[in-house]
Amino acid sequence: MTHNRRVLLALGMLPVLSFLAARPAAAGISRIYVTNSAGDTITVVDPVTNKVVQTITGIEVPHGVNFSKDGKQVFISNESESVLDVVDQKTGKIINKVPLSGHPNNIAVTKDGRDVMVCIASGQGALDVVDIASMKVIKTIPVKGPLHNVYVTPDGKYAVAGSVAGKRLTVVDISTMQPAWDLAFDGGVRPMTFDTNADGSTNRIFVQLSNLHGFAVVDFAKHVETSRVMLPKGNFGKEEWRMGTPSHGIGVAPDGKTLWVNSILANAVFEYSLPDLKLIAHADLPVVERPGKPASGAVPEWITFTPDNKTVYVSNSATRSMSAFDTQTLKKLAEIPVGEVPKRINTLVMP
Amino acid sequence: MNRWVGTLFVGYLVFAFHPATPRVNAQTPPAAPQSASAASSSAEPTLDYEFFKTRVEPVFLKKRATHARCYVCHEEANHALKLAKLPPGATTWTEEESKQNFDTVSQLVTPGDPLGSTLLRHPLAPEAGGDAFHSGGRQFASQNDPDWLTFAEWVKGQKAK
Repeated sequence: MTHNRRVLLALGMLPVLSFLAARPAAAGISRIYVTNSAGDTITVVDPVTNKVVQTITGIEVPHGVNFSKDGKQVFISNESESVLDVVDQKTGKIINKVPLSGHPNNIAVTKDGRDVMVCIASGQGALDVVDIASMKVIKTIPVKGPLHNVYVTPDGKYAVAGSVAGKRLTVVDISTMQPAWDLAFDGGVRPMTFDTNADGSTNRIFVQLSNLHGFAVVDFAKHVETSRVMLPKGNFGKEEWRMGTPSHGIGVAPDGKTLWVNSILANAVFEYSLPDLKLIAHADLPVVERPGKPASGAVPEWITFTPDNKTVYVSNSATRSMSAFDTQTLKKLAEIPVGEVPKRINTLVMP
Repeated sequence: MNRWVGTLFVGYLVFAFHPATPRVNAQTPPAAPQSASAASSSAEPTLDYEFFKTRVEPVFLKKRATHARCYVCHEEANHALKLAKLPPGATTWTEEESKQNFDTVSQLVTPGDPLGSTLLRHPLAPEAGGDAFHSGGRQFASQNDPDWLTFAEWVKGQKAK
């Protein structure tokens, strides 16, 4: 090999080397998935570059997105066909469709990676359990009201599902796949998140509710609501027809030290300390410029984080974008254009 | 400058003529055909059922690139625009279902005033004069979109040929 060729080869490798060097070595490769709920695509973003690296197509009105334990399969609830689509992570192609018992909303995967829990929002509501090995619904758990969002607690012991119409959350014991307890509210149950005790068990559920510009705090052990935290006021929401859902999207950072809450009315994401729930800071979200009218809000929908805790992502349904913020400085790192009305977002961490 | 004047004028029209509650002047089917002279003498255009059935309804079922179909979110939905649910395998509505849809959709328009009509304003991109947010997205990027113009023709009283 001539000297010139060696130089050219070395130069050619530079982008590859810098790309690899920029990755957090310990965290492994991660990807941010966002479902474009008024479209037929799911956008996949590399959090290192904040660029779109894949677009999954052919899923009309996708709702929830989650992953197999080995990261090789992506599960997406498909509202137009009432199925759970199974997508090959590498190619982005649909490889299976699992018929569900009704119209699906959000999904969660059990910590052992065996099942996908699917909210059924039609009829009386239910929680479908999809066995990943057989790709079949193996159980439909009856609940009190159509279900919207479902989560698995950080210790993996429980699934917690919320009903907007039923104004109630239901806690399901994953070891028995039976409802363990439920709790009624004065408003529809929207997104939720959890903090943990020192032993990893669930301490509190933070619950967003219809018509509440804030969140309710639920003591997990006692099964009672203990307090409510109100967000700072704002002037958005009316023009966007979202006064009934003033706050949507909530998440505890991976290190468990902070709680992040979206506000549609303030057009911002707020950061609270844990466990004391003190407001620390906020970041403004983008606006929609309208000719001859005041700018309107981004209508934030969901929150996720990079596994290294450094970046928080907010999906903005009105601006067709996802905002990336540095969690330490609250500086905006990127405004990433995605698809039509982006809502649920989730982080895939490759093992 | 001209763009500003146009924008202000359109804004004035919307402000001045958009009523607090929709003015419904739906031609409830089945209706006796109106004579041309009767239609033209009317101060307010009437909504034509046949035009709705043949031109407007198909837009609700049309798949637009990168967008979900209107029907997917609006069938049997908890929205003001609640379209009749199609039986499994059906690709169009029955006469009875179309009449039901006509009644529903007529509640969302102001005859003669496209931009005063929720049906046209809500799915129109906010940057193009639409509402600030539609959970079904920017179905129409501009007021020149052919399907948006079809809606506008119907609202302005266009009859089926």
